[in-house]
Amino acid sequence: MRKSNTFIIAILAVLIAVIFLLPLVWMVSTSLKNDFEALSGQMHFIPKKLTWDNYKQGLNGELMNVPIVRWISNSLVSGIAGTAIVLLIDSMAAYALARLKDLPFRRTLFAMFIASLMIPGILTFLPMYMEFNKFGFINTYYALILPYSGGAFGVFLLYQFYRSFPKEIEEAARIDGANKWRIYASILIPSSIPVLVTLGIFTFMGIYNDFVWPLYVTTSPEMRTITAGISLMATGSYTQSYGKLMAMTVIATLPVLLVFIVGQRSFVKAVTQSGIK
Amino acid sequence: MRTSWQSRLSSSLFALPYTICFALFMLFPIGYGVYISMHDFELLSDEHKFVGLSNYIEIFKVGSYLNTEFFHGLWHTIQFVLYSVPLLLLVGLGLALLVNRLPARLRGLFRTVYFMPFAISASVMAVIWLMMFDTNAGFINSLLQKIEIAPVPWLTDLPWAWLSLVSTTIWWTVGFNMVIFINALNEVPEDYYEAASIDGANAWQKFKGITLPSIRPVMLFVLITSTIASFNIFAQPFLLTRGGPGDSTKVLLMNVLDEAFKGKAIGSASAMAITMAIFIMLISLVQYRLANAGKEQQDA
Repeated sequence: MRKSNTFIIAILAVLIAVIFLLPLVWMVSTSLKNDFEALSGQMHFIPKKLTWDNYKQGLNGELMNVPIVRWISNSLVSGIAGTAIVLLIDSMAAYALARLKDLPFRRTLFAMFIASLMIPGILTFLPMYMEFNKFGFINTYYALILPYSGGAFGVFLLYQFYRSFPKEIEEAARIDGANKWRIYASILIPSSIPVLVTLGIFTFMGIYNDFVWPLYVTTSPEMRTITAGISLMATGSYTQSYGKLMAMTVIATLPVLLVFIVGQRSFVKAVTQSGIK
Repeated sequence: MRTSWQSRLSSSLFALPYTICFALFMLFPIGYGVYISMHDFELLSDEHKFVGLSNYIEIFKVGSYLNTEFFHGLWHTIQFVLYSVPLLLLVGLGLALLVNRLPARLRGLFRTVYFMPFAISASVMAVIWLMMFDTNAGFINSLLQKIEIAPVPWLTDLPWAWLSLVSTTIWWTVGFNMVIFINALNEVPEDYYEAASIDGANAWQKFKGITLPSIRPVMLFVLITSTIASFNIFAQPFLLTRGGPGDSTKVLLMNVLDEAFKGKAIGSASAMAITMAIFIMLISLVQYRLANAGKEQQDA
């Protein structure tokens, strides 16, 4: 009885897994077809005429005449720079809020940061656009990097960790003459590497995958991110060039899928910590 | 305990960089948004006349252009929320229960597979499904053709358009809810189930009597986060149906951004955005209250 139950559940799990994976497999398969075969409506998972042309053209900029390599670089640059900023300033702020009791306005600041977690993004979208417009930052890397540094999620996540960090270690270091910067840099940061990795993955994926903001704050082809670029291609004149579009989506997905699979464990941890406790 | 001003200064320096970013990219935009919404703010003009609350009044004046834009959009968004949220909850919980009943060494694998689409960008997700749903050459219609079912206009006719938007959303994000549910299920103490087994409870009784009450706070969390996420729907209709057929899937965010960037009327668009944000926050508050009231009743 038990055994057959498990068997049925495993079959069900596999069937659902097929449904989940099918669009991704089809994406890869289509990216290896020429446009004619991709539009033929035939269901060959292995292309009849397998071609790498979509990728070759993509990487040398001939594909749809758009600089895909540049787009990917823009996404990676803004993702990495944005993540580095968030990790640095969030960990510093979380340390101050959690451990430095003489921080002026500590409670007020913390309450404000937490309250901001509940604010829908649309509330800041248009005024932030106008703000960046005023600074002359539209179509620059500033616009692709800076806005993500205002979010309070990382401060909140690290605050919870630093608050539960044992006092004794910190006090022992203080008696040995270490000041706040030493305690922050050589005790708190090394001990919170797993949380920082988690936050880093979360932040990187968030920035890399964002597409509405980059779509509106970039105006020239060479400043697009890959996600904004793809959405423009899909709504533009290349709507049905599925072979080419799919080569682009494969290229766009590879970095982030790699990060996801490598960091999956800590990503799952971040999700479960993101607001329940 | 008083500390020296030097100590307070150095403590402040730690909090300063983030606080500046918070002020520039969170606090200021919120205030600036309110300011913009009270002005006749044209995207391309430098002169902004103060108009007080008239943008907001326009939104609520029956029959006005803004009123139609806002409430038609809101109605389409609400439709999406009503279709998607129950499924995001049920499918998420279902997948979590399924994964948890698998043999331990298979759990990680299946969890990863169901969670994987979540790693993909909204625009990539939409483009993949654009191809899957294509009426003439799409995978799904080709599959249907094999069993001699006529092509379905997945993205260009009702009710199919909604069905497509909801199913792509579930494919894309349900893994997130599943992961939260798996975590919640694992925290239910094993001895509760053992005690119930000794009392002769069957699987359904155990689920109703132990599992559901134990994961109640998590259900509420997922309900609220899913509702907020669904209210913010944009990418799917923007890229998949482009608001069609007609404007029947043109959701509120699309109207807000059109008003701002196509209509160049940032002032009235900001008023729409603020009204929408207040609406979303009210809904989450009501959900929270209702769920808590229900809990007190249950406890009493």
